[in-house]
Amino acid sequence: MNLDVQSLRTFSRLAHSGAERAAGSLSQLTGVETFVNVTKIEVSTRQDVEREFHERDLVTVHIGFNGGIDGRTVLAFDRAEAVELVDVLVPGAADQPEGEMATSGLKELGNIMLGGFLDGWADHLETSIDITTPTFVDTQTEGTLEDITGDSGFQMATGDDHVLAFRNQLETSESRVGFHIYMLPTHDSVDTISNLTGGESDSVPIETFTSFSSMISEGAEQASDDLTAMTGMESAVEVSRLSFVPIEAVPMQLTDATRKGVVLEFMGTPSGYIAILFDDESAEKVADALMPGMEADPAMRQSAIQEIGNIVTSGFIDGWANALETVIEISPPTYVDDIGSAIVDPLATELAQAQEYAFLIDSAIRTENDAFTCDIYALPNESELREALDQLAAEAQ
Amino acid sequence: MKIYTSDTTNTVRERTKVGIADYGVVSGDETLTTSGLGSCVGIALYDNASGVAGLAHAMLPYANGDSKEAKYVDTVVPALLQSMVDRGANPRNVRAKLAGGSTMFEFSSTDGSIGDRNVAAAREVLGRERISIVAENVGGDHGRSLELVASTGDLRVRSANAGRTTI
Repeated sequence: MNLDVQSLRTFSRLAHSGAERAAGSLSQLTGVETFVNVTKIEVSTRQDVEREFHERDLVTVHIGFNGGIDGRTVLAFDRAEAVELVDVLVPGAADQPEGEMATSGLKELGNIMLGGFLDGWADHLETSIDITTPTFVDTQTEGTLEDITGDSGFQMATGDDHVLAFRNQLETSESRVGFHIYMLPTHDSVDTISNLTGGESDSVPIETFTSFSSMISEGAEQASDDLTAMTGMESAVEVSRLSFVPIEAVPMQLTDATRKGVVLEFMGTPSGYIAILFDDESAEKVADALMPGMEADPAMRQSAIQEIGNIVTSGFIDGWANALETVIEISPPTYVDDIGSAIVDPLATELAQAQEYAFLIDSAIRTENDAFTCDIYALPNESELREALDQLAAEAQ
Repeated sequence: MKIYTSDTTNTVRERTKVGIADYGVVSGDETLTTSGLGSCVGIALYDNASGVAGLAHAMLPYANGDSKEAKYVDTVVPALLQSMVDRGANPRNVRAKLAGGSTMFEFSSTDGSIGDRNVAAAREVLGRERISIVAENVGGDHGRSLELVASTGDLRVRSANAGRTTI
């Protein structure tokens, strides 16, 4: 199965317009304005997707589709929040949020939103897509995606199951409810869509994306080990993802909350930018751990954070450089203490001058007791990364 | 693009979010917000007489043929203005306020400050549209989040460390 950047762009647009249709269906039905916040294409392991549902305590409605393309769609949301909306569909549902009526209302909600989502795809692909009846899955009690991903996953040499997920984040006005729509097309359907929309050139086997994705995970593991060694606090990689997003959606991954950390530039094939960010509390704890028992002034704290940024970046990027058999140089870190989304905005904007979409790498490292969380965002130059991946694919053959 | 009508039965003032490479128009008691302006520029337009206001969050100065009009200063200003006129604003009464366009980092690979170029483009395009800029909070090396109050044209600028101000 090959994927080319042209297909990814088309996928991204399709997923976005599908999500707009889903948002429109919900707004029309409930009278609550709904927006599409982010549309991403991700190569994830099945475990990553499952873990996210678990950690966010999300319940899901699943709908299968077949016809022109086949696969599964999943609407994931917080049950308590969504039940409030469902009351419009099934009056009285909100009185018993855990009850049968609420569940059937949620299924109906899934039906309407996912139906709208798939209509968007069918229109664009000029095909017809039939949908199955919705299934409600409480991921807390029923657990896994195992049965639902079915043949939409593909197994890597490493034994990890990967999925190509189209992830859309929807939000109702005043941020009352957030929805995530996942679409997991079957292996064959990804090929079908690629053939319909893709160009001949720039094609990269999807296995290359997944091996790059594994490299990123290894880089994140290395960064986590380095953080543990420096701070003496056990940490683990919570998330590590490679996604393909419209460039303007990159800063929207972060909120208005203040973040402290460093921004660095990396040079080589690929070049790009990286931000290592902590929330205020995490930054304090990390700096304290580096200077135990010391009364550190702000300048010392700042240099401690810079030092951590340096080490984490090296750990994170050295792995790819080795695997890509290239040299990636790293600039000195610039200390930042600012609005989270504003920190990433100039990085995305620099790249936006030459590319419409971006490969976004985002990883989160967390200690067991939640003492700190460290978020890593890396934005490699799109065409240079593609060049590096081509190299990797050529060598694999 | 987002357009909202004011709901007079709702006593809570509606806040509408404007994303990146996006714009919105509201009127009456409503407000528009946008967050995380680094080198991006926020262009706030308002007409006090009609109470119609619009806010754009542009990433780059010139579209050079790209069709995503809300992403670029030179294409979003005419689109925003038109959308305000459609909602009853009179172009002659429209005033502008600018915020954002900072230079947070100096990268080795970059060609000058995009923030500066965004602000310069905004001044140029607004001049071409004969809209006067009555206030600015631009440049520097910090990020900003904005809230525009449609009824007054007040633009609240919040930053992480440089405090809050209303222009």
